[in-house]
Amino acid sequence: MIDLAALKKEAKQLLKDEKVTYLLGYRQGSNGHRAVPAFIREPEEVEQLTWDPTCTYNLTRYLIDEVRERNSSEEREDRPVGILVKGCDNRAINVLLQEKYLRKEDVHVIGISCEHAGMVDEKKLARELKNQPVMEIEFGEGDRFVVTTEEGKTTISAEKILADRCLECKASYPAGAEVIFGDKVKREFTRPYKGLQEIETLPAGERWAFWKAQFEKCIRCYACRSVCTMCYCDECVVDSIELAVTADTTAEEKARKVRWAERSPVTSENFTFHLTRAMHMAGRCVDCGECERACPVDIPLRLLYAKLARTADKMFDYEAGSDPDQPPLTSSFTMDDPGDFIR
Amino acid sequence: MENILTKQALPRWIEQLDAYQIYAPVREQEGWKYAIVDTPDSVTLDYPNTVLSLKSILFPQREVFLEFHSQNGRDLEVEELLPGDAQSVIFGVRPCDAKAISLMDKVFGGDYIDNYYWKRRNQTRLIGLACNEPVSPDCFCNAVDGAPYSTEGLDILMTDLGDRYFLESVTEKGEELLAVEDDLFQEAGKKDQKAVKDLRSGAEKKFERKIPELQNMPEILANLFDSDFWEQESMSCIRCGICTYLCPSCHCFDINDEVETAAPLKGVRVRTWDTCQFPDFTMHSSGHNPRSDRAARLRQRVSHKYRYFPEQYDAFLCTGCGRCIDKCPVGIDIVEVLNKAVDYEG
Amino acid sequence: MKDNPYLPELARIVEIKEEVGGERAIKSFRTQFIRENGFSFQCGQCAMLSVFGRGESMISISSSPYTSDYHQFSIMKMGRVTTALHDMQENDIIGIRGPFGNAFPVDQWKGKNLIFIGGGIGLAPIWSVLHTALHEQEDYGDFTLIYGARTSGHLVFKDELEELRDKMTVYLSVDEEESGWEEFVGFVPQNVTEKKPSPENAIAVTCGPPIMIKYVIQALQDLEFDDSQIYTTIENKMKCGIGKCGRCNIGSHYVCKDGPVYSWAELKQLPQEY
Repeated sequence: MIDLAALKKEAKQLLKDEKVTYLLGYRQGSNGHRAVPAFIREPEEVEQLTWDPTCTYNLTRYLIDEVRERNSSEEREDRPVGILVKGCDNRAINVLLQEKYLRKEDVHVIGISCEHAGMVDEKKLARELKNQPVMEIEFGEGDRFVVTTEEGKTTISAEKILADRCLECKASYPAGAEVIFGDKVKREFTRPYKGLQEIETLPAGERWAFWKAQFEKCIRCYACRSVCTMCYCDECVVDSIELAVTADTTAEEKARKVRWAERSPVTSENFTFHLTRAMHMAGRCVDCGECERACPVDIPLRLLYAKLARTADKMFDYEAGSDPDQPPLTSSFTMDDPGDFIR
Repeated sequence: MENILTKQALPRWIEQLDAYQIYAPVREQEGWKYAIVDTPDSVTLDYPNTVLSLKSILFPQREVFLEFHSQNGRDLEVEELLPGDAQSVIFGVRPCDAKAISLMDKVFGGDYIDNYYWKRRNQTRLIGLACNEPVSPDCFCNAVDGAPYSTEGLDILMTDLGDRYFLESVTEKGEELLAVEDDLFQEAGKKDQKAVKDLRSGAEKKFERKIPELQNMPEILANLFDSDFWEQESMSCIRCGICTYLCPSCHCFDINDEVETAAPLKGVRVRTWDTCQFPDFTMHSSGHNPRSDRAARLRQRVSHKYRYFPEQYDAFLCTGCGRCIDKCPVGIDIVEVLNKAVDYEG
Repeated sequence: MKDNPYLPELARIVEIKEEVGGERAIKSFRTQFIRENGFSFQCGQCAMLSVFGRGESMISISSSPYTSDYHQFSIMKMGRVTTALHDMQENDIIGIRGPFGNAFPVDQWKGKNLIFIGGGIGLAPIWSVLHTALHEQEDYGDFTLIYGARTSGHLVFKDELEELRDKMTVYLSVDEEESGWEEFVGFVPQNVTEKKPSPENAIAVTCGPPIMIKYVIQALQDLEFDDSQIYTTIENKMKCGIGKCGRCNIGSHYVCKDGPVYSWAELKQLPQEY
């Protein structure tokens, strides 16, 4: 079990000693049982810090805004940002370090192990409780959750209501963080790439029909991209909603800009967006699962990126973010890479 | 007109409406959406609310305005492409979504009539379903001048009384729909009316979320225009479009030309949903962007709904459906923002 | 106005005039509608010009309503649609929707002295009101134009400016010293301060880069102009042109519909977000 009091003590001290500019953590949300991201600046505010199975947010996403802010300010801030990370979030930081987007001195990492549990899937929880309103959900002993409803407390085994990405998790322990709370444990229920294996049993024609139906639902809200730590490009290749136009951009440059996908949320354009984004995730996606959680129309996005992750693993023995000193997959090669076109 | 329809008789009523395309809520994985139903038996009204609101039918996410083609580069033909003539009936509309449509009516009417919107609107009849309790913990219709049994925007309102529905017609179009077989509907009696009344007062009490000082909100927001309140509240915003796309009353859109062939020129001009939350929504061609930071964009979304729209139309552009709160990936809560705005001193 | 405010009328480009060359080129396009459609406008109003296949752009009508042979649009090459317009030839067809927006209240200005202050391409949106008033010059007081650009090559309507000198006072300026330039050297707001137009029974109309407008208003206030005597026309990113797409708003106003013409007294009441 994570000692929340000890975690708060650590956080408070960091802020008191002004070792970090602020701390990215979790606090109780304003409506219902879910936690929300918290930006904690003062030691007194540490009291609101929470750690429970709804702390699903990958806070490293906010490091992107922080880096942009630091790069554009005249006097670069010399203290790091403090951040709470789970094992998957920690890997995201490693990818940012590998890609030299983030500098080690910009971040002070406090890791929390998911131990025998992880993050709850709200939809699975609702089904399990037959839509009874949940008042609170906490980590119990071992692999149990303790759920409080109007009828009182009940314990549920983690495996029943854990998010799919936790059931397939490859990184439940944030190795390499400055400080780590919780133990490294062997998780019995883990089945990496389980979802991917299931869909791969379908013949190609059925898989095409499956994805076509999924992309017909897509409303191009870009939540999947907006929530993803790895999508930090100032200007996205498929859509100009992050148009990096300045006063110096010439009319010719603007006129010649290719719109790789139209704004219309039609199936063809949705395919273009999603498959392009998936390709850009190869060797970078750490399977934090935020994209799938954020999607309002329930597209099983993780399957796309899992396909590329497993390919990277098989072909290049590469797991995104497992080692901060490893070079990025697509900008490096070794002499024993498969394929002899390069030799 | 107040009628009773037993639940078993519902499919028979729908059968009578064979002149119309019938939309009803259907399940889609974990959520619900409006879809055209072919079999009257499959219509179920036992559901919370749809993920994509009613606006996705009356104000679709993609709407083709016109088609253009040029044979030889010199002459150019442009053809208007209005929506088709299908008449529709939509069942199961929650009062928050219906009220949002009546707000949209103001936007798409006025000095300039938007023919695309109005052709669909005039060809559609909305049959509402009152909420006997909040369908989600995020609901707050009665905190924004609404009610779970409001008839605004509807042609008929149905109330679920357990084994039967209480139907009240709101408009002439609604009455027409009720003018079918004599024995399908019974006239509602005093017992039914009392059951409805009790349900409604019970429902009201179950809504917990409140917005203090609602009527003063335009002034409160005006006073906060330059404060760092917005910076604080928008810190976790990731600039996706979920809040605005799912909102039943958000109406911002983009217009783009989509070219099929360049020579000879052939293409269409389309309208697509857009959102004030995307960073380049207000960006000028020169690169100047009046709302370049997320604080300004959150301020715009909240102010449009609770200050600017009321200044123009004397109504809030929010009907309390709660979708933005439920689906925001980072838990930004407009009710909390408004509550904090009231007390904010800075 | 058409039944469908989103449907453009087709118009032919009958004349293209190069006003300014180089990077931020400016061309004046004179258009004629292909069929009679009863299009009529007031000075200050704008229209959405369509380049089919590229998109639309909201441009002020720079000719006056008294010019019936054509409608003039003076356009700077800025982005996608304007570049496509600049690539067009005489006789090409474009679409026009409009007129949109509000007009300069010229009737209210009768008997007053009119001071037009423009910078760069900013002369185009006020060219219409200048010529509208000039058409009935005897109904107004004195006419003054204070206009400047970065260099003499950046001045628009150069030929017409010389013709104007016969009818009204014209003060020109360039930002920096230039060989052969004998008029004021400096920024337009500085020229305003130098020429000291009197606020007595006067209306000032200004348009130009946002920063210029800001300092011109300052300069006029220093000369004791009342905020209600200062008019400007603003721009914002626009798509529908009819106050529905939600993009161009400043507070509860849509610039395409409730603007673009505002007095400073009106504009300062709106949230300062533009």
